[in-house]
Parts: sequence; C-alpha cells; structure tokens
Amino acid sequence: MNTISQIALTVVMFGSLFSVLTLSLNLQYARGGMINFGTVAYFATGAYAYAIVTQEPPHGLDQYLVGLDMPWWAGFIAAGLAAMAFAILTGWPTLRLRGEYLALTTFAFAEMLNSLLVNERGIGNGTVGLANVERPDANILGLSENVVYALAAFLLMLATAYAFRRLLASPYGRAVDAIRDDEVAAQAIGKNIARLRFQVFVISSMPIGFAGALYAMITTLVNPELFTAEVTFFVWIALVLGGERTILGAIIGTMALVGFQEAIRAIPFESVRAAEIAASAEDIVTGILFIVILRWQPFSALARRRQAA
Amino acid sequence: MKNAMSVKGALLKSTLLAGAVAASTVAARGEDVTIGVLVPLTGELGEFGKIVAGAVELGVDEVNAAGGTKCGNLRTVVADTGGNPEVGIREATKMIESEGAVAVVGPTSGVMVALVDLAKRTKTVIMSPYAGTITLNELGGDYVYRTVSSDLGDGAASGLWLTDKGYKRVAFMVQNEESTISPAQVAREKLESSGIELTDYVVYNPGQPSYQAELVSVLAHEPDAIYLAGGQESGVTVIKEATAGGFEGEWLFTADLAVPEIFDAVGAQYLNDRAYVEFADSDSSLPEYKAFEALYKEKTGGEPGPFASNSFDMVNLIALSLESADSCTGEGINGVIRAVAEGGEAVGSFAAGKEAIAAGKDINYEGASGPLTMDESGTPDGAYSIQQARDGKWENVKFYPASAFE
Repeated sequence: MNTISQIALTVVMFGSLFSVLTLSLNLQYARGGMINFGTVAYFATGAYAYAIVTQEPPHGLDQYLVGLDMPWWAGFIAAGLAAMAFAILTGWPTLRLRGEYLALTTFAFAEMLNSLLVNERGIGNGTVGLANVERPDANILGLSENVVYALAAFLLMLATAYAFRRLLASPYGRAVDAIRDDEVAAQAIGKNIARLRFQVFVISSMPIGFAGALYAMITTLVNPELFTAEVTFFVWIALVLGGERTILGAIIGTMALVGFQEAIRAIPFESVRAAEIAASAEDIVTGILFIVILRWQPFSALARRRQAA
Repeated sequence: MKNAMSVKGALLKSTLLAGAVAASTVAARGEDVTIGVLVPLTGELGEFGKIVAGAVELGVDEVNAAGGTKCGNLRTVVADTGGNPEVGIREATKMIESEGAVAVVGPTSGVMVALVDLAKRTKTVIMSPYAGTITLNELGGDYVYRTVSSDLGDGAASGLWLTDKGYKRVAFMVQNEESTISPAQVAREKLESSGIELTDYVVYNPGQPSYQAELVSVLAHEPDAIYLAGGQESGVTVIKEATAGGFEGEWLFTADLAVPEIFDAVGAQYLNDRAYVEFADSDSSLPEYKAFEALYKEKTGGEPGPFASNSFDMVNLIALSLESADSCTGEGINGVIRAVAEGGEAVGSFAAGKEAIAAGKDINYEGASGPLTMDESGTPDGAYSIQQARDGKWENVKFYPASAFE
C-alpha cells in the first residue's frame, strides 16, 4: 500500500472515530447550548467498560479486580451503556449550571475520572492500563484489518450523524433549539428545560461510549494516559475548525485535523536528525495552519454552502 | 474569493509535493530492507529516544559497511512517538504498510504494549532496547522481543544495592507509573526480607508543581537514603525540594534519572558523592562492549549513553536474523532470532556473524550489552550498574552481572 492511501486510511479511521465525539459535542453545545469540557470522560468510560467486560479475569501481576471475559459485542453494548450511565451521574447534579460554570464542572468531572483511573488500580490496573484488549477478528471479505476497522469507524460516524440529524429535524429538535435560543420563552410555552437538556446530554453520550469501545479495539490498550484533557481539546478544536451547528462541519473539521497531523508526518525520514527537526517543527506548523484556517474558515464555509444547497 | 483560491492552490501544491515525496521513496526502496525506528524524540523520554535512535543508526551504518545483509542494505525510517501509544500505532502502521518495514525497533513500554497485536497480525518483528514493562513478561515472545531485561530485574538490583550499602532506614518515593511502580515493589520486598526499615512508601503523581506534601513525612523520618523512582521532570523537583527541606542522606535514583542533564537541572553540588543511580547496563569489561564503546567514540565523539549498547545489539540481531533466515520478511526474522542469539559459534559483530553464517555455521551473537539468550517472553537476563555522582558526572561504582541474582 502506498503512503498516500495509507494516510487516507488513517484519516478515515481516526477521523471518523473522533468525528463521533465532535458530532456529540456539536449536539450538546451548538444545539443544546451546553458547554461540555469533559468529553474525554465519556470516551474513557466507554473504552474502559469495553476493556473490563472483554478482558480475562486478573492473574499474575494484574491489579485490576474485574475481568468478565465476555465477547466483543457485549463489551460494545456495555460501552454505550456505561457512557450513558456516567452522563446520568454527572449530568444530574450539574446541568442546572449555565455556560462557563457547566464547562468548569464537566472539566472537573473528567479530571476526577482520570485521577480515579490512575490511582484506583482495581479498576483498570492504574497507570499500567489494560493491555492486549480483545478485538473481533476483522478478517472478513479478504480485506485487511485496518480497512475493516476504518469502515467500522466510518459506519459508526454515519449512524451517529443520521441519528442526530433525525433527532434534530423532529419537533423534539426544535424544542432543543428553542431552549438554546431563549430559555424563558421556551419555558413559557411549556417546555421542560431541565428534562430536555438532561435528555440531550445523556443521548449524545452514548455514541461517545461506542467510539470509546472502538478506540480500545484499535489501540488494544486502555490506560489513563490515552484519555487526558488533550482529547477534549482536540474535539473542541475540530468543532471550531469545522464551524458550529452543522453536522457536515463537525465531520470535516475532525477529518481535517487528523489529516493535518498525518500530512505533517507524511514524509518518511531516513535519518534521525531529520526526524528530530520535523518533530520540533511540528507544533509550529500546526500553529500556523490553525491561524490560516481560523482566518479564512474554509471548512465551515464549505459545510455551510453544502447545507444551503 | 481570491484568498480562498490561493489557499486551495497551496493545498493542491502541498498534496502534489507529498505525492512526489512518497513516489520517490517507493522508488528508492529498490533492494533495501527497511527497518522502522519508532522512538520518542520529544516528551519526557525524548532524551532516551535520541540515544537509541543514534545507536540504531550507528548499527545500521556498520551493517551496511560490512556489505549489508543478503536481503540488501538496511534502510531506516524514523518517526517520533512522543511516547503516545496512539501515535505509535499510527506511525508503525505506516512504516509496515507503506514503507514495507520488516521490523520496527525502539518503542517505549506503553507504545510497545499497544503494538503487540499489530506485530503479530502483520507478522512484523517489534523490538525495544529499553521497554522493561512487566506486561511484556506475559505478552512478549512471538514477534515481540527486547534487548533489555524486565523492570523486575531493576527492582532486584536496587534492592540488592540498598542492602549492600548497609542503610538502616530507607524511604521510597515512587512515581505513579508502571515503569517505576513494578521495580519499586520488587525492591521493597528485598528490603523487607533483609530487615531494613522502610520509613515511608510514597506513590506520587507526576506533573505537580511541588511535591512538598509528599516529602513532609519522608523528611520527618530522617531516612539514611531515599529511593527515588521518578521521571526526569518530577525527579528534579523532588530532589530540589528535599534538598531545600534539609535532607542530608543519600539518594538512589532509577534509570530515568541516569542522564547527565540531571546535574545542570538540580545543581551538581547537591548530588556529588551522595547520589547513586541504578540502571540496566552492559558489562563494560566484555570485549564486545569495549569494541562498541571504541566504535561509538570514534563515530560520534561521545560516550555511549544508557541503552546505546542494547540498541546497537538490536540492529545486529535483526541483521543477523535476516542473514540466516529463509526469507527477507518479519516472519523470517521471527523464525530464527532466538537461534541467532543462542548456541553455536560465539560472534561479537555483524561482520563476524555474516562470515560464520556463510561458512554454514550456527552462530551465537554475544552483544555489546551482554549475552542475549532470550527467555519465553523474548527477554534476556539483565545486568545492572550502579553509578555515583562525582564532580558533576555519573561514574561506575558497582556492577551486578546477571549471575548476581541467581
């Protein structure tokens, strides 16, 4: 496989996977008006749930307490449910908060979860993490596993986009929009604001959990280092890049962001010195690209044009 | 609109450029055999990654100078992981799928663990000169190898040193990371069985601006020595704060702090004569090591850093495996790599090994880092050095060969 198709495959795989997060964030923030700065927590919950459900029971030097050794699909379902459960747990006490207060609280929850995973070694081996996570044998139709997982991520993204689109196009979606635009007015016409916000928050967490499970299958490893606030920021940047309030924008923004990362690393360096220079230059190039994109906003313009057409 | 066009134009140009670069590398591949060098060049372990990549490059040059393997000259593609497993998977996939790498060398513990499945699936050998993680004690062995012993050995060596040194009271400061906790547990067991009093066993989380809260109890008990298993960032802060807090005992650091930069960061005067460091090391009295050291000095002008000899051995093992395997693939390497490092005529360099293989002999590669006979998990037995801080430098004071732990 040549370099370009390999890069395209990586962009589809990770771009689709993280697009699920961006789409959910888009629903929560751009439509529901909730600033969630703890996206990574729901992602981590899904990944850990998947790993714990599918992992063999602990033995030897393992420090985790539960490994259910169940098939991958059970883990996948558990991942969605776990993310929803975590959303209920965190959404219930916090969703009455507005704007930046909610942002701070969700951020704090995500940090707490990370700290819990690091320090409570009984959950997932602490910093060691759970390795060799079960992944379904994807050798179907003679396709390579990478292609199959990229397809799986793409399908998950399409399913999420479709579900959210249907949801938002319905009267329910208009009620959500009404609350974001003017809470008092929405309340005046009889919409239960607290309940609607809570529902949107919980529903949008489920795909994030599924994405977490898929991520665990792809990396075959879950450990707290993979689930830091960086993931949250990544998703937020993708959302800003692609422009808010459009499903296509969320997807294009994420794909573009993963695409940049890959494009910057596309050249195969044959000497250590060259790789070292590239590694140091990467942040600078990324920064310049961000400035360029935020100045001209090509992706959000593209997404908006599509929407208008 | 004009602006939009120029952005598009630039994007198009860069795409074409990337395409041209990709095409040229495919063309250049020819008869070379590619090895991926996947190391952290940035991040907390960046210093080690540079040493490893440098030693790998040296090894590759030597192999190619000796006429290359029968599969052709070795060619490297280098990528930075920053220590992140996800980046590691992406880069390794690229190396294997689009660069045709038969082996990927140099990943750190976390990345290595994440690559196990990929290695077995794509039948590509992955090998690390410093991934001591105990997880590999279970997962390693097939397509997954290392030229360094397990972290558990580091713990045993530290425990042995603390006991030999005759300390009565020792405190442990351990960074909450796998690579530091597992050896600390082994060292702790050794201390407890030798009757040394463990005044504190503190597991701390890295990335804090200060560790004074953790140090309060440690310093209050006035231990003879502090065993500090920490990374470079947290380690420096802990040492500074303990010194400022009036700690006058001795130190034993683990491998992450075995770099010369530590003297600048902390201040050499606070470390001289009272700080020791333990790390997996090669027996510097071995002729193979001396040859490597001389070569390293000649080519780079400096002393070989930690894990340099392990990295050099890694390249030679792969090159010799290619030389004696039936096919120029990862599968070929995987089939013979153990045999190359065990039983047969002892050889100390690629050139000697190549000659012996050509003469139809079975070879046993004796590396610069010591014997490389691998156990079931693809891990060799380890030897360890203790160095002492003297005049702003680390100097050898004690060497524990593998036989010391039997």
